[in-house]
Amino acid sequence: MTKQAPGVRIDGLTVVYKTPAGELPAVRGVSLELPPGSITGIVGESGSGKSTLALSLLNAVQPPGRISAGSVDIDGLGDVVGLAGEQLRKARGRHIGYVFQAAQNSLNPLKTVGKQLLDLGRSHGVEDLRGLVREAKDLLGRMGLDGARVLDSHQHELSGGMRQRVGIMLALVLNAHLVVLDEPTTALDMITQANILKIVREVHDERGLTTLVITHDIGVVAEVADRLAVMYGGRLVEQGPTREVLASPEHPYTRGLIRAIPRLVGDIDEAQALPGRPPTLATVPKRGCVFRERCALRMDVCDDVDPEAILRGRRTVACHAVAVKEHA
Amino acid sequence: MTIIARRLVGHLARGIVMILVVATISFFIVRSIPGDPVAANVQKLIEQGMAPQAAEQATRVLYGFQPSGSLWHQYTDYMLGLLHFNLGQSVTHAGAPVTGVLLEAAKWTVLPVLAGTVLSFLVGIVMGVYAAIRRNGKLGDLLAISGSLLHGVPQYVLGLLLSAIFATLIPILPADGPVDILFDPGFNAGYLGSLVQHAVLPVATYALAAYGGWILAMKSSVVTVLGDDFILAAELRGMKRSIIFRYIARNAILPLFTILALSLGLLLGGAVFIERIFNYPGLGLLLIESITMRDYALMGGAFLLITASIIVANIVADLFYSVIDPRVRSGEEVSA
Repeated sequence: MTKQAPGVRIDGLTVVYKTPAGELPAVRGVSLELPPGSITGIVGESGSGKSTLALSLLNAVQPPGRISAGSVDIDGLGDVVGLAGEQLRKARGRHIGYVFQAAQNSLNPLKTVGKQLLDLGRSHGVEDLRGLVREAKDLLGRMGLDGARVLDSHQHELSGGMRQRVGIMLALVLNAHLVVLDEPTTALDMITQANILKIVREVHDERGLTTLVITHDIGVVAEVADRLAVMYGGRLVEQGPTREVLASPEHPYTRGLIRAIPRLVGDIDEAQALPGRPPTLATVPKRGCVFRERCALRMDVCDDVDPEAILRGRRTVACHAVAVKEHA
Repeated sequence: MTIIARRLVGHLARGIVMILVVATISFFIVRSIPGDPVAANVQKLIEQGMAPQAAEQATRVLYGFQPSGSLWHQYTDYMLGLLHFNLGQSVTHAGAPVTGVLLEAAKWTVLPVLAGTVLSFLVGIVMGVYAAIRRNGKLGDLLAISGSLLHGVPQYVLGLLLSAIFATLIPILPADGPVDILFDPGFNAGYLGSLVQHAVLPVATYALAAYGGWILAMKSSVVTVLGDDFILAAELRGMKRSIIFRYIARNAILPLFTILALSLGLLLGGAVFIERIFNYPGLGLLLIESITMRDYALMGGAFLLITASIIVANIVADLFYSVIDPRVRSGEEVSA
């Protein structure tokens, strides 16, 4: 119980998927640090590689995908890319909690939540199963649910918001201090969404966690995350403190993303969709900047040279145009 | 458990009504088939020069009874008899009660078909799981291909093949009936041994013919479950492989129980070829015989037995689901 929020250092991570056209990268050369005790949000469109990145933290990229380069160094665990077999299994759940999207059925439909909790405990050699159940009830109660009732329920008897809280409980009940939430509020109504985000924030503070939130909804990140990382086409294009990035986005993609959000006040037409479509695994350019096809600041150099992430104050941006401005 | 009890009562009531309706329909359909064996026999005797009265007398002696009365009268008699499990008498079996004739034949159908079905189900689902898990490897391909091939070969071809190989070419197994008549029926080693020995080929035929279907159904069911989110979720929570395997197996086998229950319901009627090939005096042969001989009572009884077994199988399947699938069980729980 003396565990502390671990820091995570992702370095040069590349994940490739085997396709008929050869191995194509879904995540390419991503370096990202999750400081201990922080909440980091990763934003990106579908296919940007954010979920693949999240799975890499558990070394759980599903075939035909594989981590082809880089490392994911977690305090107290070491490089998870090097873990396999029983070591890896025991790290999952105990050190790293993973919370699925609410709309995904992350529970066995034939067993009650309580029985699955016991399965989880037995899988991790928990001797005090009563204590585990008590802890689960506490957590559920903390999130505003009737723990005893929920443990006695099957998945189909729970609403989306309840399932999501059960998912969070299962991720935390073994005392994991690194938590990955994949689209935690997608497919939930606005009020439930707000509730879940509040719970994420509070549980994070109370238990001293390091949290990674994956989402396509920049509003979610704005609400919970201390740090924001933006992914596009498998690349990390911009990252930094959430407030800074949202207040003055530098990468043209981040700007486009923020400009596309409709405001509650003012002209609805001010929201502008980003022209073009995000690349798929097969259409991501092999050379040069991945965003150039949709970029207003495109230059000749973008066609040939992949922009490197440059440090600008407390954030990094990977864009030639921004780099030029820097030198000018 | 009260929900299950309530369901059972509802099902039984509906089942009984269905059986009565089927009895009525089969009664009238059978009676409207042209031809009357008793009249035909009387006619034949008259043509041979017998006086009409004497001919009827002789026929009555031959069959042991004389059906008479209006169709409506016969119908009420039949239905009243049905309530006492009396299905009338079989004209081809010298007036023996149909119920007894059916039960005698049923044992030669039920035992081998049940054994064959259960055997193929067990082997098929285990192989199906392997075929699904190893679906990208040679073993998986091999299992899937064996399943497709066997599924495609008709039962009677398999039966003839097995009979030709193991009873004729290499005569190591009998194919001449259900049991050696040398042994006294009863619980003695000789009789039981002979039963088992004779059952090997027919049971193997049923099992081989059905096995392909099970392996293919189980494979596709397992592949579906493997793609379900909760399996990945269990992996990401660090669940033990053995526990995840149980999750997969229980979820994948669920849809197969419907097929199993229905095929057990059909087992009473669908064994004609195999009974013919291996000389088993079972229900399939009895049904064929009753149709060719215009034995109304026997025909109706056989139809009724087959229908009733399907209805019962459906009820069992449904109740079984309320026990094993919480989603079915709670359908009424929520409103209660």
